[in-house]
Amino acid sequence: MKRNEKHLVNFAQLLRIIGLLMMFEAMFMVFPMLTCLYYGESDWLPFAASAAVTGGIGALLMTRIRPRTGHMGKRDGFLLTALVWIIFSMFGMLPFLTCSLPVSVSDAFFEAMSGFTTTGASVLDNVTGMSHGILLWRALMQWIGGMGIILFTLAVVPMLNHSGGMQMFNAEVTGITHDKIRPRISQTAKSLWMIYLLLTVILIALLWLGPMDLFDSVCHAFGAISTGGFSTESLNIVSYHSVYVKVVLTVFMFLGGVNFGLIFKTVSGNFTALRRNDVLRSYVTAIFLFYILFVISIVCRGQVHSWQDVTINPVFQIVSTITSTGYSSANYENWGSFVLSLMFIMMFSGACAGSTSGGAKIDRLLFLFKNCRNEVYRCIHPNSVLSVRINGNIVNSDLVNKVIAFLCIYMLLVVAGGLVLSALDVPLIDSFFSAFSCVSNTGLGAGITGYGSSYEILPDAGKWVLSLLMLIGRLEIFTVLVLFTPAFWRKY
Amino acid sequence: MKIVIAGAGEVGSHLAKLLSNENQDIILIDENADKLTTLDANYNIMTLVGCPTNFSSLREASVASADLFIAVTPYETDNVVACSMAKNLGASTTVARIASYDYMDPANREMVRKMGVDRLIYPEYLAAIEIITALQHSWVRHWFELHEGQIILVGVRVPGSAQIAGMQLKDFAHTNHHFHVSAIKRNHETIIPRGDDYIQDGDILYITTTRDHVHDLLDLTGKVSHRIRKVLIMGGSKIAVRLTNMAGDDFRFRIIDSDLKRCHELPGKCPECEIIHGDARDPELLADVGLDDTDAFIALTDSSETNILACLTAKEHGVKKTIAEVENIQFISQAEGLNIGTIINKKLLASSSIFQMLLDSDSSTSKCLALTDAEVAELEARPGSKITKAPVKDLRLTRDMTLAGLIRDRQGMLISGNTVIQPGDHVLVFCLSGAIHKVERLFN
Repeated sequence: MKRNEKHLVNFAQLLRIIGLLMMFEAMFMVFPMLTCLYYGESDWLPFAASAAVTGGIGALLMTRIRPRTGHMGKRDGFLLTALVWIIFSMFGMLPFLTCSLPVSVSDAFFEAMSGFTTTGASVLDNVTGMSHGILLWRALMQWIGGMGIILFTLAVVPMLNHSGGMQMFNAEVTGITHDKIRPRISQTAKSLWMIYLLLTVILIALLWLGPMDLFDSVCHAFGAISTGGFSTESLNIVSYHSVYVKVVLTVFMFLGGVNFGLIFKTVSGNFTALRRNDVLRSYVTAIFLFYILFVISIVCRGQVHSWQDVTINPVFQIVSTITSTGYSSANYENWGSFVLSLMFIMMFSGACAGSTSGGAKIDRLLFLFKNCRNEVYRCIHPNSVLSVRINGNIVNSDLVNKVIAFLCIYMLLVVAGGLVLSALDVPLIDSFFSAFSCVSNTGLGAGITGYGSSYEILPDAGKWVLSLLMLIGRLEIFTVLVLFTPAFWRKY
Repeated sequence: MKIVIAGAGEVGSHLAKLLSNENQDIILIDENADKLTTLDANYNIMTLVGCPTNFSSLREASVASADLFIAVTPYETDNVVACSMAKNLGASTTVARIASYDYMDPANREMVRKMGVDRLIYPEYLAAIEIITALQHSWVRHWFELHEGQIILVGVRVPGSAQIAGMQLKDFAHTNHHFHVSAIKRNHETIIPRGDDYIQDGDILYITTTRDHVHDLLDLTGKVSHRIRKVLIMGGSKIAVRLTNMAGDDFRFRIIDSDLKRCHELPGKCPECEIIHGDARDPELLADVGLDDTDAFIALTDSSETNILACLTAKEHGVKKTIAEVENIQFISQAEGLNIGTIINKKLLASSSIFQMLLDSDSSTSKCLALTDAEVAELEARPGSKITKAPVKDLRLTRDMTLAGLIRDRQGMLISGNTVIQPGDHVLVFCLSGAIHKVERLFN
């Protein structure tokens, strides 16, 4: 114990765990490689090379570094979580650099970070020209990032099943408070991943039954359940012209926006939790309200071309936006600016905490809303003692500060990102929209604002800034920002 | 093993942390959400806000599938009721912390069991036994004996003047075959030593030996054994009452307490003792009650700091043995460093009883001793277990444990590298915190 106190961060142990995680990443790279071999594409070589480099460095770190103690504190948890995401993107970009249609380093890193953080903003203009391996890798990155890299590790590596693992869990999992569903952290992680895997498998099977082939089903399933939003077609889901695909994807994107702990409890027969969950209720209510507003707007603009335009199309678009997936189904650009502003609100809110979605999370907004209502009530009855109840439990009012701080920083990040981009000569609206889209991990195309068809058009520096914003957004701000505070690196 | 702990007080949260480190599944229930928040965020345990004597809370904690239910709320009746409910819901074993001897009385044992309480933890009782052992063996810090002393583990502080100070352990082992140095506590840290470690001035050595040789240790460590007769107790706490009732005629007790009301109650509870009203931190009062003539001084007030300081004062007055109750675990090492004879801690005593249950759920004969960062346990080697497969030196034991001695056919013997452990042997194991589940796997 004494030895640890001298150092703030146990670097040796961190590097060792990172090595271990890189070996996992290398393992995931094998799947696109096999796909390439199956389709007879030359891109298997870049994947083999990337996997070898990633796995090799990982193995080296894992075996060569012998930490003096395995102790991990709060700081180690934050630093490791942030580092892991960056390192995963750094090695995840290798295939993009070396494939048959190589891109620049900035583009590749942006693409990888966008994948892992399930933003789904793409710099690749010509998706259809890419090899199957690359497409699968893009989908796979989202799938890993959706539930969380750390959570995956906690589920499979018994080494982290102690309070150090607890810190990493807290640093990665989204939401105001982090509910555990099983007594030990590894069991919790395992249960969550099991649910995630199960949903993915069902989704793949359902999509495969429809017009998609197995490959497209897998890629879209990964993109939808992780609420990422990479597609294998340039025109996105539109190209399938299938109501069935839209309905299935809508349902599973919706599930991707629900707290996975809640899904686990429901699946294991605990319906009380489901009944008491008012976050889920708000989520459904919000979707319903947005649907009505969307339909009104579409009808008023005279954009009703078929029955789909007032049923599945708006619902698909709403669910896709609120869960921060970013798939687009129809030409929503024509639905009017009111619809666009509604979409901003949805991007801001995101779906439930503990899900794979991005944004500020409905939990926080609901909490703040209930708290505000109490304050207003107190204007009339100053002596009344009120509490905020979420999901049947009374939430400590101290958390109000934390939530407000979160939302403020969230807004500031959008402003800061927008400022930097506009300084780089990006048009005003596009700057702020891209920054917003990246912080909230939605990744709706820059195309909305009419500035080029993908993020490729942005200057290189802008891509790095946006990559950072995506990471901050995915890890819910504090985990990354705390690394930039002097207090983190000082003892007192 | 799935363990539900009711009550996140000092003992409850200590147990939760400790058992979580031992890779057990812990669910901690308490009515007070504030107590649980920090524990939940920082430890690998699940917490639940709810009343331990409420069926729906117990169901929510899925007590039915729990291997062990531990009730350690501040109230004895709550604990017993919670255990009874948990047992009826389907918990395999229930443990209640009690605060009166009534439940432990063999006459009532069967009735208590029928109520659904399988085991009892009575920290005050354990503390009293610990104190009596310390008074009987005044020259050691810890005294832990198995099977009427066939194997004895003693913890002694080595003064600079002792013969063995500065000796290398392998030389010590060459000249003294009857001792096994199991662990050394140095600078607030317990280490399991190897042959090339040196014995230093101020170390606390944990030495395992047999009954015939334990007295040779007196010479080696430069200690003198005093016979203790006159004992002064500061603070008329529950432990003091329990102690004076259990100790018998060997000792003469005097209790000082600053609370007059308490002083009036005490004569009824401990008839043989002399009660003095006053503040034991007052030197004049101490001189007045004859501290210089006292053999042992025991400080049992609620404040750890007061207890430590009062013991230091007593030491200056020439009292041969001092015993302090220290409830802050962080203070224990400090207190040991300050040369206080024996430290009593209710949390450690409670956790030692729980460890005993974890290690050996069917035998009630085995014993366990919890130190601040280590545990000493007696385990029976089961037939076919890994520990019996090879001589000890070939077992590739990890460095956080050591096998100190064993009892075979009621005969105690020490363990060396060439010893082969046979099924049925009772082995004394010394292991550092977090290793006890490894030890358990070796033996089962």
